[in-house]
Order: sequence, then C-alpha cells, then structure tokens
Amino acid sequence: MEVLGSSDCNLEILETLSDDAIQEITESYDGFFSSVESLIAGTGDSFVEDEFVSHVYCLCKYGLDSLVRDHFLRSLEQAFEKGGASSFWQHFDAYSEKKLHNYGEEIQAVLCKALEEISVEKQYHEKCLSIVVHALQSYKEQSSVDRQTSDTERVHLFSRFQSMLSSTLMTTLPQYFPEILHWYFKERLEELSAIMDGDGIGEQEDDCMDLDEKLRYKNGEMDVDEGYSQGKRLGHDKLVKNIGKVVRDLRSIGFTSMAENAYASAIFLLLKAKVHDLAGDDYRTSVLESIKEWIQTVPLQFLNALLSYLGDSVSYGTTSSDLKSPLACCPSPSFSKVVTPSEGIVRWKLRLEYFAYETLQDLRIAKLFEIIVDYPESSPAIEDLKQCLEYTGQHSKLVESFITSLKYRLLTAGASTNDILHQYVSTIKALRAIDPAGVFLEAVGEPIRDYLRGRKDTIKCIVTMLTDGSGGNANGSGNPGDSLLEELMRDEESQENVGFDDDFHTDDKQAWLNASRWEPDPVEADPLKGSLRQRKVDILGMLVDIIGSKEQLVNEYRVMLAEKLLNKTDYDIDTEIRTVELLKIHFGEASMQRCEIMLNDLIDSKRVNTNIKKASQTGAGLRENELSVDTLTSTILSTNFWPPIQDEPLELPGPIDKLLSDYANRYHEIKTPRKLLWKKNLGTVKLELQFEDRALQFTVSPTHAAIIMQFQEKKSWTYKDLAAVIGIPIDALNRRVNFWISKGVLKESTGANSDSNVLTLVESITDSGKNEGEEELLTGEEESETSIASVEDQLRKEMTIYEKFIMGMLTNFGSMALERIHNTLKMFCVADPSYDKSLQQLQSFLSGLVSEEKLEFRDGMYLLKK
Amino acid sequence: MKVKILRILLWHAVASWTWDAQDETCGICRMAFDGCCPDCKLPGDDCPLIWGACNHAFHLHCILKWVNSQTSQAHCPMCRREWQFKE
Repeated sequence: MEVLGSSDCNLEILETLSDDAIQEITESYDGFFSSVESLIAGTGDSFVEDEFVSHVYCLCKYGLDSLVRDHFLRSLEQAFEKGGASSFWQHFDAYSEKKLHNYGEEIQAVLCKALEEISVEKQYHEKCLSIVVHALQSYKEQSSVDRQTSDTERVHLFSRFQSMLSSTLMTTLPQYFPEILHWYFKERLEELSAIMDGDGIGEQEDDCMDLDEKLRYKNGEMDVDEGYSQGKRLGHDKLVKNIGKVVRDLRSIGFTSMAENAYASAIFLLLKAKVHDLAGDDYRTSVLESIKEWIQTVPLQFLNALLSYLGDSVSYGTTSSDLKSPLACCPSPSFSKVVTPSEGIVRWKLRLEYFAYETLQDLRIAKLFEIIVDYPESSPAIEDLKQCLEYTGQHSKLVESFITSLKYRLLTAGASTNDILHQYVSTIKALRAIDPAGVFLEAVGEPIRDYLRGRKDTIKCIVTMLTDGSGGNANGSGNPGDSLLEELMRDEESQENVGFDDDFHTDDKQAWLNASRWEPDPVEADPLKGSLRQRKVDILGMLVDIIGSKEQLVNEYRVMLAEKLLNKTDYDIDTEIRTVELLKIHFGEASMQRCEIMLNDLIDSKRVNTNIKKASQTGAGLRENELSVDTLTSTILSTNFWPPIQDEPLELPGPIDKLLSDYANRYHEIKTPRKLLWKKNLGTVKLELQFEDRALQFTVSPTHAAIIMQFQEKKSWTYKDLAAVIGIPIDALNRRVNFWISKGVLKESTGANSDSNVLTLVESITDSGKNEGEEELLTGEEESETSIASVEDQLRKEMTIYEKFIMGMLTNFGSMALERIHNTLKMFCVADPSYDKSLQQLQSFLSGLVSEEKLEFRDGMYLLKK
Repeated sequence: MKVKILRILLWHAVASWTWDAQDETCGICRMAFDGCCPDCKLPGDDCPLIWGACNHAFHLHCILKWVNSQTSQAHCPMCRREWQFKE
C-alpha cells in the first residue's frame, strides 16, 4: 500500500521538481549507496552512520523511502550471500563426501562454530537493519506523516529480512546438511541416554515421576533434589543446553522444521534401537513397562529440557509461535505461550509411546510363531503384544503375518500332526489372551483346521492328546496331553460357574448388569460367523471342530480306550475313569455311555476275579503240570458295547486250556445263567524263561506264550507243524516267531522249503551272542498290531453296504459330484441301515474305491471305471 | 543239564460273557440279550434275563412290565402260554 501510494505521488511531482531538487536527490542517492556499502561491510564508524541517516532523510523527503528499504535489503542479501552463507556452508564442505554415521566427533564443534559465526553475522545485519528502521521512524515522526505505527514498519522489515535470510540459505543448502544434523542429534541423544542410564537409582526415581512432575520440569523448575546425583544432573543440563543452543541458532536462521525433523528422527531412531535392544528374542519377561520408563527418562526428559530452554530464551517475535512441534496435529493458534510447551510435551509423549507400541508390536508379530511355540513361558510377551494391539489396533496385521508364517513353517508335510495340534492349542491359548472374543483366533485357526482335516491321523492324535494325560507322553517334547486334560478340567469348573449364574441370577437387576456389560464385537469381526456368545473360545470345541463331529471323536476315543483297557492286567483304571468323566461333561452322558460300560466291565471283572479265586482256594492241592488259579486273571467284556475285536483262533497248551475252562466253569457257577467265552488270542502273559545261566522275564501276548510253551515238549519244530498245533496260519506264526528269534530264544535253520524251516530252542543264551544279559521286561513289540479294529476298518465295513448303491447310481447318471452322491444316499437309504455318514467319511470311502480302481475321479466328478 | 524251565507268572486272559439263552434278542424290546433293556444303562447283573416255564427268555424288566400291564393272567408274548416264572 505504502509503496504504491508513494509511486503515485512521484508521477505527479515529477513535473514540478526543480533542477536543485534533482541535484539533491542524485547526490544523496549516491551518498546513500556508498554509505550502505560501508555500513554493511562494517568499515564505517559513527560518522558513516550519521551520514547514512541524513541521506535516508533526504530521500524520504522526496518520497523515495521504498527505494531505501528495497535497496538496503538487497544489499544485505548480497552481502549475506557472499559472506555469511557461503562461509557457513564452507564449514561443512569437508563432510560432503562422507556417509551417514561417519562424521566423527569434530562435527559437533564445527556445527557449533558455524552456527555461532552465522549468528554473529546475522546479529550485525540486524543491527544495520535497525539503524535503517530507526532512521525511517524518526523521519516519519518529524514529518508527522504518521500513517503507520512505528512497530509495523519494524515488524515488516524484520520479517522480510528473516525470509530473505532463510531463502538465501535454503537455496544454497547442500544435500548432506540434513544428514549432518540428524547425525548430530543422534550422537547427542545417545550421549544423553548413556548419562541417564548411568545411574540406576536415579532412573528408578524417575519411574515414579508422573506427568505433573514432568510438566514442572518443563517449566524450568528442575529440582536437583529429585533423586538425581549432582554430577549427572549437571552433565545432563550442560548437554541439553548445548543442544538447545544449536536448535535455537538453527531456528534463528530459519531451519526450524529441519531441526525438528532432525531431532525427531534421531529420537525415533534411538527409541527403535532401544525397543529392539530391550525386546530382543527373550519372551519370558515383559518389556513394555521398561520401554515406557525409558521414554519417560530419556527422550521426554530431553524434550522437556529442550523445549523449556527454548521457551525461556526465545527473543524473536517471529519464532515464538514455532514452539509447537510442526508435526503435532492441528495446534490451535489460541494457545498462550505458557500452555504451548506442556501441550507439546504431551503430544510428544503420545507420539513416542505410539511409536514404541508400534515398534514392539511389529517386532512381536514377526516373531509370533516362536512366541507361541514356547507359549506358557512366553506369556509376558503375549501380554505386551496385547497391550500394544489395544493401543495401535492393528490386529489385522497380526492375523496376516501369523497366517503367512503358519503356512510357511507349520502347515507343511514335514511337520508331524502332533506338533501341529500342539501349536494349534498353544495358538488358541495365546490368542485367547490377546483377544478374548476370539475374533482373530477364528481367522488364524481356519487355515490350521483346514489343513488338519486333510490329514488322516488327526483324530487319533487329538484323542491321544486328550487322554494321555498323566505322563504317558511318548514323544518326550513337552507334555501335550497334560495341558489338554488340564484344559478340560478348567472348562469343567467354568461351566459349573456359568450354570450357577444362569440359575440364580435371573432377576431384573442382574439382567440389567449383564446388559450393561455388553460389548460390541470388534470391528474386525466377521458378521457371518455368529455373535460373541457363540464364539466363546473353547479349546475342546475347536478341536472337535477339526474332526467334524463329536461322534467321530468319541468313537475314536472308544477304540483307544478299548485298546488300553485290554492291555491292563491290574484293573487300575482311575485315570481312565477321570478322563471319561471329563469327556462326559463335554459330550453328554449319552455319547459316553458305551465307554462307561467298558469301564464298568473292568470293575466287574476285578470283583468276579476275586470271587472266583476265593471259591477255588478250597480245592485240593495242585497236581504236577497244573497251574494255580492264582496265575490267571481275566477281563470280562460286554462285547456288544466294545468296538469290534479282532478274533483269531488259537490253541493253547493243555494246562492253560484247562485253567481257562475251570475258570469259566466257576464263573458259570457264580453267575448263572451267564457264561464265559474266551478270546484266547487276547490278553497279556508274563513268563519267565530259565536258561542254564540266567532267567529272563518276558511280557508277551498269549500267542507268543503258546509258541514258546510248545518248545517245552519238543526242542525243534517245523513251521508247518507248529502252526498246526497252535492253530494259527503260517504267516501269522512267522511274525510271532520273529519276536522270539530276535530275543535269541529260538533259532531258525533253513529246511528244504520255507514251510519246512526248522525252529530250535537256543539252549544257552550266550550261544546266540545276542542281548547280552540284561533282564528284559517288554511288551512284545508287535503290540502295535492292535487287537481292536481301527475306526477306518470299521468305517470301510459299514460303507461297503452302500457300495452297490453308489455303483448303481453311477451307472444310471454317468458321473456325479461328491455332494450329489451324498445327498442321493441320504435320500434313498433311509431304511435299515439308514445312511448316517458325513461328507468326509463318504469322500474317504470313495477315494478308497478310486484306489481300488473301481471308480474314477475326474474334474471333481466320480464315474465308473471302464 | 540243559533244561529250560518255563514258568508262567501271570496269565491275564480276556473273555466275553453272554447269557446262556437260545435267542439273541429279547422278544419284547428287540434288544440284544447281551445288551440291556431300554430302561437300563448297564448290561449284566443290573439287567438280568428271566426264563418262563415255556423256556422263553426275556429281559426281567421287560417281562415284568408286560406282566404288570395285563389285567388278567399274563401270557408269554412269544407262545401265548400262561406266563410262569421258571423255577
């Protein structure tokens, strides 16, 4: 405005100017030029200043004050460009080639010196500027052309000067300068951090420091008595003061945001390093608290001190409003100077904590797989992660990353089903801690479940995990069974509690309380998957979910229970009873009915056994070759309720056979009209073999016992004869005999053909050179060949009924998809036996038919093999 | 003397029990004799069989229910002879 106005005047008065006036203007113009030069160069004295002032007056008289301002500023700019700026950058020329982290100690000194020099230069220029301002002001006062207040003139000129200065520096800014700044702050912060870490006690005092105290620190009331040792305090103060000076100098030359950036990034870098350092690969301790403490002690202390130092020493009107972090979100312009720093520090605290949470969270998420592998020990890390996620809300990141690592590391052909299940259970537990609603668990569990469904031994492994509770852990790694049983029991308790709640607290008040405790599902929840209540995390439920139905699980368990019970000789079934009781809670009384009957059989057997023994004791003494009834115990089954048992014919040697039939007779006497049917091939026999030099004990199956007993009569047998006497097929005999051969009890000598190979008893065990000595108690190694038909065998047997239906269907329709076969069977096989198999069962049966080459599978369709 | 002596320390055998009846299933409830009647949970002693004078066997619970439901003299459900418990 003012410039415009004066130029308008000039045009009008140009005509009226006299020669004298022109002469005067020209002279003072020249004088002004030369005096400006000498003034800026600093060569002049007070005389030059006076002369300068008079020239300014003169020019102003003719309305040329804008010329004065413009020219003066331009001269200042030229001078600054030539002098200050270039010499400032020259300081750093030496470092232009060096990479980050490589500046060395001297950079600190160089930076300080350069900043000092440029500040001095700037101050001088400001002095010159204030002379001009003063001259202009005093002229205005004299001529009483008081259109503007003196202060606006001053502010206007100084801001022009400031922006001129910054732009000059910015345009000449070398690329490496921000790096130098960054490096400088990094070094200083590390130094500070080292000072703060130096004194453990001081740090602990700091831990308790709350925000109010922080703010007091902020306002400059730093108290030496706050638990800091004097020396540390001093070192800290000095350091902060140094840094503060650098920052202030940087601000004064217009590098406010660059300085902010530099120390912010340095702080974040340091924080990140600290988090990585503290968190590391140790999941057994919680690190979140110590990270928070560290944030309180080091970076916040630093910022407190820095901001307060700057706040107190700000002397430029233009920079006072820059106290707030430029990165902080929307600082309201109405903040007074007192409020601003505390707001700033709170913002800084939030920023730093968020950053720390995020860093820790990323770190933990990346290692989540390992953390879950040693879950119960790593629960502090899980707890940390939970807090971080609550703060950052980046659950989806966790899900994605964890699923990826699962697919890469767990769900591969190389991992054993047991390991996968174990990890699955740990995952459930760990994620349940992070997210009780189970939303993320659902997402993470899905791929594991899908994968496990594709494995054949999944059901078996699950059941083993469930039942092998107390110590029966074959693999040795950890104790997977134990944890599950424990889980079952815990659930049992919680279920009782839930029942209690439902029964007794149904009054309105309680209902209201429940309603007010309702929380919405997390946003990430999949609305298709039911509400919170249905998603209640239940490990057993999730395991059953893998299998498909509880019937399958119970069935598999029944088979395993049968196997276990049949191998018992001492009727000790406490653990089994306990397991069945627990399973009953989950699966209902009805589905465990058969298991209960099996257990009951064992209990009855024990009682019956004692009764029979008592009854027989009255009998006469034993004849030779007769065995005492005491050696015989039995398990008596209610066959209808046991899984199908593989019956094999077996002829037992006379004495044993007699013993058994006596036993059966006694049973018949006691329990008329019930009678016993022996399953001679089942059971366990403990026997002792006495050689001339030693006695060996064996625990074997009755078939093994029958074989070896035959050698009492006759020292050598051909396979054929032996098989005939014992009444088992030759190939079955072969397998059994191998056991004795491997123990060095029998010896095989080759005959004319394989059937006439001769088995001979080894007279002295030292002859064979095998198994030197040690007394062996073993459960014949072919015990793995089970006496109970496996679930798959049962299924195959049951499914064969439907084979004809399927074949007929496919002849009529050509080709059919799995689902259609399933539905058709469901529709037509309603009569005895109705079709009750699951889709998976049908699929495995069909794939069996495909492998038998009865069917063909092409493009998802089954068709008859031609 | 190179004589080997074999000694049986323990012989744990496995057997199944069965009712010594001619039929497989109870004529009333059509459940297996070796199982139990629909009202029972445990087979064996808890759910015994009973023979009539006509030598037909039923679950005790089943035939008792039948006998009690008859207003006059009960008959064997199988052969319609007068029902008498076998001595």
